[in-house]
Amino acid sequence: MKILSLSGFVPEQICDIVRFTQYDGSHTISHYCGYAADFISQVMEDETIDGAVFPKSCDSSRVLSSYLMESGKFLYQIPVPSSSDRAAVSYMATSIRQYQKAIEDFYKISIKDIEKRVERINERNASLKEQYGKLGEGVIYSRYLREIHNLLKTPLLEQQISNIEAGKKGDGKRIYLIGSFLSNCRVLESIEKSGMCIVGDNFPESKRLVFAPEVSAMGDIYENIAVSMLHTQLSPTQNRFSELIVNDLAEIKKKDVEGVIYISQKYCEPYDYLYYIYRKRLDEMNIPILKITMSDSTDNKKLDFELEAFCDLM
Amino acid sequence: MEQSVARLQAQLMKDYYKDFSKYTKGRIPEHKVAWVTAFTPVEILEALDIAYYYPESYAAVIAASGKEQTLIQESTKLALSSDCCSYSCCFEGSISLEQGPRGIPPKPDVLIATNNQCNTLPNWWNILAERYDVPLIVLDYPGETVERDIACDYVTQQHKAFIAEMEKLSGRKLQLDKLEDLIRNSEKSVSAWQKVVGEFSKRNINPTALFDGISFLITSRCKAETSQLYMAMADEYRELQPTDDELIPIFWLGYPLWYHPARYLTEILDGYRISGSNYITWWSLDYSGKDSFEKLFQAYNYTFLNLTQKTRTERLSKCIAESNAVGAITLRNKSCKCDFVSAKNVGLPQVEIEIDMIDRNYLDVEKAKARMEIFKEILCTI
Repeated sequence: MKILSLSGFVPEQICDIVRFTQYDGSHTISHYCGYAADFISQVMEDETIDGAVFPKSCDSSRVLSSYLMESGKFLYQIPVPSSSDRAAVSYMATSIRQYQKAIEDFYKISIKDIEKRVERINERNASLKEQYGKLGEGVIYSRYLREIHNLLKTPLLEQQISNIEAGKKGDGKRIYLIGSFLSNCRVLESIEKSGMCIVGDNFPESKRLVFAPEVSAMGDIYENIAVSMLHTQLSPTQNRFSELIVNDLAEIKKKDVEGVIYISQKYCEPYDYLYYIYRKRLDEMNIPILKITMSDSTDNKKLDFELEAFCDLM
Repeated sequence: MEQSVARLQAQLMKDYYKDFSKYTKGRIPEHKVAWVTAFTPVEILEALDIAYYYPESYAAVIAASGKEQTLIQESTKLALSSDCCSYSCCFEGSISLEQGPRGIPPKPDVLIATNNQCNTLPNWWNILAERYDVPLIVLDYPGETVERDIACDYVTQQHKAFIAEMEKLSGRKLQLDKLEDLIRNSEKSVSAWQKVVGEFSKRNINPTALFDGISFLITSRCKAETSQLYMAMADEYRELQPTDDELIPIFWLGYPLWYHPARYLTEILDGYRISGSNYITWWSLDYSGKDSFEKLFQAYNYTFLNLTQKTRTERLSKCIAESNAVGAITLRNKSCKCDFVSAKNVGLPQVEIEIDMIDRNYLDVEKAKARMEIFKEILCTI
């Protein structure tokens, strides 16, 4: 069983999933997110993948089933409620139960290790949270994020966190990153090479994953997973931009951030609309912002000149 | 006395636009104001005397007036990406410059967005909430992603919470019998509109009248006059000549082009006639259910764009079969990723044309003409 997952809204507690990072595929769809198109390519072309799970969170992801329906593979769409109130938690918990049942029916298996997985995820996230707290103070961001990407491609019970501490304080202009899943980590090395030190982010695979509240194994475990998923750092796809921005700006202020780099995929509406507000708020705080738009999951844009100019501007 | 189509249209439009800035000269609206997306359960707002306006529809009106380019450029200056839905780009420009053929709508007291059409609209509503600093309510409709009972329970809880919020805003208590009456009005509007649409494949009806005519089902579906209007339209259409059999019947799969005087590409359709369109069926909502809450759930959870591909294909295939079309013009719309894939597996030859429903610059007319020539050859050989 090898299920490719597109989003942090897919609960890892139920079974192993492989988080999609990047794929150089043949599917291109005009005016459509290149990252999602590469996900389609991998599901359709990679014979080692036998299933796909994705959220109903943006226009590209909501129609993924339409493109994948002929694959004959396991397909499941996870809902993303906007609210985190009682009704939303209960609905999300029911959806997680249905997701488990769909997997059990399709793969003819019985899932019995959710509690063990919950415990392991809690421990892993606590370790990663500790690393996050040391960004710029001994942990180099590019190593930190690559480590997370490697973990998310490894079965949960085999995940081992390496020692990524560099042991020295980072120097350079203090940068905060905002964006959707960073498929191409090479951009991070370019940022660091340009003399900037990344001290925080709001990427889904980092902040929203490692800051997810611990899931309790007591009581209704599905509700507990739902509570954790809906009460972690928000995604713009949950449509509560003002709450999301308040949290990020507080961290930006606390960490004396000197500039923000906003990395988004072309045709990613949630982040395009979010940018509109971020830019206004950061202008008011006199913090410069650089927007980088990637065309797909493997885009390896020559950014050095842009990044150097941005560093000079700061 | 029976009222004419023109008189009823004028009455509904006057009622809708009376508080736009061009006509108010500073007058404050009498009622609280909500800005809503096109599939919002407006029967609840109407029952509480809250006025509601549709930014998407107004963007279409702006494009029809030919003024969309300046406004889209203005939104780009404000850092809104031109990759975003053009309804939002055009409307943002309009409210920023306070320009539009009827001015701008009265300022909102609340913003209400639903995700039963697409996920872009709730994103767009967030930037409106930032601009006006008013509450944003997002109603979440699961569609077919979960079983019906679970979806119904979840949506009903949201509708009840929504009613409580709107009661606070309006200072009124919702009367369930009034809500029931308004839902009945919506049902009648849908039923009358279906009679209008039913004539489309049989009579020589100008598609422009239907693309424009459906706007009342969007903006005024629970008003009593809307069903009267559509019944009058259907009566008029029954008197028209039958369709011209010399012309090739073709299905228009996608949005009307709001900037185009005819709303469709007359210049590339010599020898064809439009005999059907999916857009004009989108607001034919099904209000069946045992009580008001179930009716609202049924209508707003199972909107066309909130269905699975399988159900959409079934509905679309039925719609195409009723139109007697032999081919389809499928519009790849820069502003709507959700609609394009509706066209999968409908069992009909299709020609694909790149467009945007608001921004005229996305259409290459010569390329579209060339494609239609090839398409005609394909249709003639089948």
